[in-house]
Amino acid sequence: MEALIEKLKKEIIEALNLEDIEPEDIKADDPLFGDGLGLDSIDALELIVLLEKSYGIKIEDPKDGKKIFYSLRTMAEYISSHQKK
Amino acid sequence: MHAYIKGIGYLSPQPTWDNSLFLEAVKSHHVNNMYCLAPDYKQYIRPIALRRMSRLIRMGLTSALISLQDAGIDKPGAIVTGTGMGCVEDTENFLTSVAANKEEMLTPTAFIRSTHNTVGAHIAVHLKCHAYNFTYVHRGFSFESALADGRLLLAENAADDVLVGGLDETSEHHYIITGRLNYWKVKKTHNLELLSSKTPGSIAGEGAAFFVLGKVPGVNDYGKLLDLDMFARPESEEILHSRILTFLQGNAMQASDIDLLLMGYSGDVKFDPLYEGVSEKIFPGKPEAYFKHLSGEYHTSSAAGLWYGTRILQMQYVPEVLMKSTTSPGKINNILIYNNFRNEQHSLMLIST
Repeated sequence: MEALIEKLKKEIIEALNLEDIEPEDIKADDPLFGDGLGLDSIDALELIVLLEKSYGIKIEDPKDGKKIFYSLRTMAEYISSHQKK
Repeated sequence: MHAYIKGIGYLSPQPTWDNSLFLEAVKSHHVNNMYCLAPDYKQYIRPIALRRMSRLIRMGLTSALISLQDAGIDKPGAIVTGTGMGCVEDTENFLTSVAANKEEMLTPTAFIRSTHNTVGAHIAVHLKCHAYNFTYVHRGFSFESALADGRLLLAENAADDVLVGGLDETSEHHYIITGRLNYWKVKKTHNLELLSSKTPGSIAGEGAAFFVLGKVPGVNDYGKLLDLDMFARPESEEILHSRILTFLQGNAMQASDIDLLLMGYSGDVKFDPLYEGVSEKIFPGKPEAYFKHLSGEYHTSSAAGLWYGTRILQMQYVPEVLMKSTTSPGKINNILIYNNFRNEQHSLMLIST
């Protein structure tokens, strides 16, 4: 799980072009949106595409996005439980 | 109606973003595809917003903010931009992504950044400005169309002040594709020796120039835009000359009233004779300046011409690097800016103190 979180950090920084942010600046349990990393709705769409492109996971119900993208850990847990073996 | 120039901002292949300086340092380029010099964008735009902006959006928003700050205005009454090609780098990236991903899994950021009106939209979002917002995409008339719209908004009392800008960017692909149309010189040319090359083609450039125009004169104005004219493909030099004389007459002026000619010499032996003809036939012996060796050629390079003209008017001198003729002007009250984009779109701008 920790290895996946570290991988996600790098992928998110690249996909969202988070200039001046290093992987160690993002804490696994901090919120990605709002007060945490400060991502917005366009970033949410970018993350949905990232999940599909990199992990082959399609989010069927957009309402689930709020829970899945709460933090890096919730994202990693979702990927682990939904990725095809 | 006169439009008073309240504020200006310009990013170009020269260090032009600081309005307190005027070509004290001139950057020489040894390439035929000149890119803009970039200021520290973080001084103007929050990093969280900056990360989603591509090069032309950063250039456009920053020069717009510089011009608004210069004019002392927080929110303009209208935002009008002109661009010949829009964000070409992002368009290339988006289309490459469409092809590579078989039209699936496309990200929103690349699409947002690829549209022509994205710079005007980013300015509005940054300023939280809900006023009139329009982008003109008319090749070599793009900036002039935006300027015409801005003047009309002032004339019709639709706005007290308007933000008008012209912007375009170059890219490697754009340079190669337009190079196939013989737009650019084959041999690598030093930009400061553009006119002495005497070969076909020009050098490519880019820039973002913004102007805040107001309908009421003020003590800090740079000057005023008296008139603007656009015409396409004049059939002969006589028709071109007649159009210029009619334009002057429409402003109750003669050739002798013009103190400085600022023209769009591009270094292309195919098109520069048009400027030489205007100089020799209508304005013999008149002080003459040019600017495309500093800006490069692009669809909205006339905005660069207006910026240089405005600075000359303000400073009341022409830096040596801009001078084409050996005769320098004395008091500079009236400047005629004449530009054409490859003898297709021609424009005249008359500015005055």
